[in-house]
Amino acid sequence: MVDLVQNTIDGLMIGSSYGLLALGFTLIFGVMRRLNLSYGPSIMIGGYLGTVLYLQFGAGPLVVAAAVVIGAAVAGLYVERLCFAPMKAGAAIASMVSSFAIWMQLEQAAILVLPRHTYAFPALATGAPLEFGPFTVRPDHLVMLGSALGLAAAVQLVLYRTRFGLGLRAIIGNPVAAHLVGIDVRTALPLAFAGASAVGGVAGFLVLAVDQQVTPMFGMWATLKGLIAMMIGGLGSVPGAVLGGLLLGVIEAQSQWYFGPQIRDLMAYFVLFAVLALRPRGLVGSLPEAATQKA
Amino acid sequence: MDDHLIGVLSNIGIVSFVALSAYLLLLTGEISFGQQAFFAIGAYAAGIATALWGWPLALALAAGAVSGAAAAVLVGIPTLRLHGLYFSIATLAFAEMVRILFELFRYQVEIDGEPVGPDGAAGFRNIRYIFDHNIDAVQFLLLIYALLAVVLLGFVWLERSRTGVAFRMIGEDETLAGLQGVAVARHKVLAAGLAGALAGVGGGLYAHLTTYVEPRIFDVMLGVHSLAYGLIGGLGTALGPLLGVLIDIGLLESIRALAGYRMIIFGGIVAVLLIVRPRGLLDERAVHGIGVLWRRMRRQT
Repeated sequence: MVDLVQNTIDGLMIGSSYGLLALGFTLIFGVMRRLNLSYGPSIMIGGYLGTVLYLQFGAGPLVVAAAVVIGAAVAGLYVERLCFAPMKAGAAIASMVSSFAIWMQLEQAAILVLPRHTYAFPALATGAPLEFGPFTVRPDHLVMLGSALGLAAAVQLVLYRTRFGLGLRAIIGNPVAAHLVGIDVRTALPLAFAGASAVGGVAGFLVLAVDQQVTPMFGMWATLKGLIAMMIGGLGSVPGAVLGGLLLGVIEAQSQWYFGPQIRDLMAYFVLFAVLALRPRGLVGSLPEAATQKA
Repeated sequence: MDDHLIGVLSNIGIVSFVALSAYLLLLTGEISFGQQAFFAIGAYAAGIATALWGWPLALALAAGAVSGAAAAVLVGIPTLRLHGLYFSIATLAFAEMVRILFELFRYQVEIDGEPVGPDGAAGFRNIRYIFDHNIDAVQFLLLIYALLAVVLLGFVWLERSRTGVAFRMIGEDETLAGLQGVAVARHKVLAAGLAGALAGVGGGLYAHLTTYVEPRIFDVMLGVHSLAYGLIGGLGTALGPLLGVLIDIGLLESIRALAGYRMIIFGGIVAVLLIVRPRGLLDERAVHGIGVLWRRMRRQT
């Protein structure tokens, strides 16, 4: 019983960063209606920028965090300019494949800069685990949970309480109609794209700081975790993304503890498949037929 | 021919099977991230058939095709009502499940005092059929391309048949196709099954070419690559995916001098190409144009 609760606590902590990854992903998908496979690799580029600053100049966690976020946003903007902005209307699958090609490119670029497989990443809030009765919580996990939930709330506020957010929601609903009522779609799209990549960057920083290492595989990892959490939670909703992330975190923590890492991954994909087959819109998804467009 | 060239050509031929498998689903309008699963299932099934049960190669390849098709139909049915991203992610989830299950799959038989068979994450070694039967690399290459030629002829037939027209109609607009009397569900499951069989044959060939498979090879990278080949080469004809494979593997292998930079250059080229030609080099319009030109030239001579 203690194990079960402890796993749930750990899972929620880690899951909060999955939720943040899913949040950035779902924002991009919402405004673009296209899948950005380079989402994780953009974050990985931010992570590499942070590691370079840390290893070369001994930068502290805050500077590294800023570097990861800025790096992810700039890489995200590059992907948007190359794979999304110039594509013809209706060429959704071309955008997706193009973002995959750029994924390969970003990964190779990272390997060229830092050729070893793993590099150290600065730790966050080290110190003894906090004890609550029989349960323990790592301080860096607490920072992760706090920042993730805080940022998710901030994104929700921007979307529902600002003019910019209203514009974005209009674009998510119907880009043509949004353009017709005078929303500057051309500026809003790259801004939203870079912003969403920055949200992913925050998640990336938190995960990397907990792991204290970065590898070129982080790009694929982030894309897959974000994708799974987003689809479980349902496209196009902030609470959905967070819920999907938390759920994925708990499922992983429990199955890892009881059955090991292989069953952990198997369970995650099984839940994803089951949710899609039984409840395709996800648990709290809100995107209308949008996502069902054809190749 | 030198060994390196034979190796590259064999690879191109085998990867073409997976690329054609993804292409067939693209015709019906669905993007699959999971065709590598049926490639894996075909590889294991055919490998087990020759190495453990002593079946002849032809029968083993058929077993690969059948198991690939059966698995594809099995996934095809629950994902029938999924479209777009939902379908893509469901296929991805299935394929990753298959990969992990192969990491857990142990089935070994003692042959000549040595255990042979799939050994979980360590892979499946000693699929020695082509050594035991003195099939050299060139002969196997010919086998790959002979089968590929049969498949391409099949595609030529398909594109001219009612079934092929139904596939493309469903790809354009599923509801409209249904209203015009196309049995949508049946055609989609048929397309999934055929695509699974194609990938399964490719997997069987792959297992016997390399004599060794491990679950790691069948990750999502293989799936997304095979999808990309159709998009790069073109969605207008079955030669499109082949062109895509040729450009990727052929080009990458030929400019070795660029070693550390090749993905940077290649990624950039693909991105720019897709801006100019979002449905690939040999898209529907290009294929139609070539057809018109061809007929005009024939009339003149």
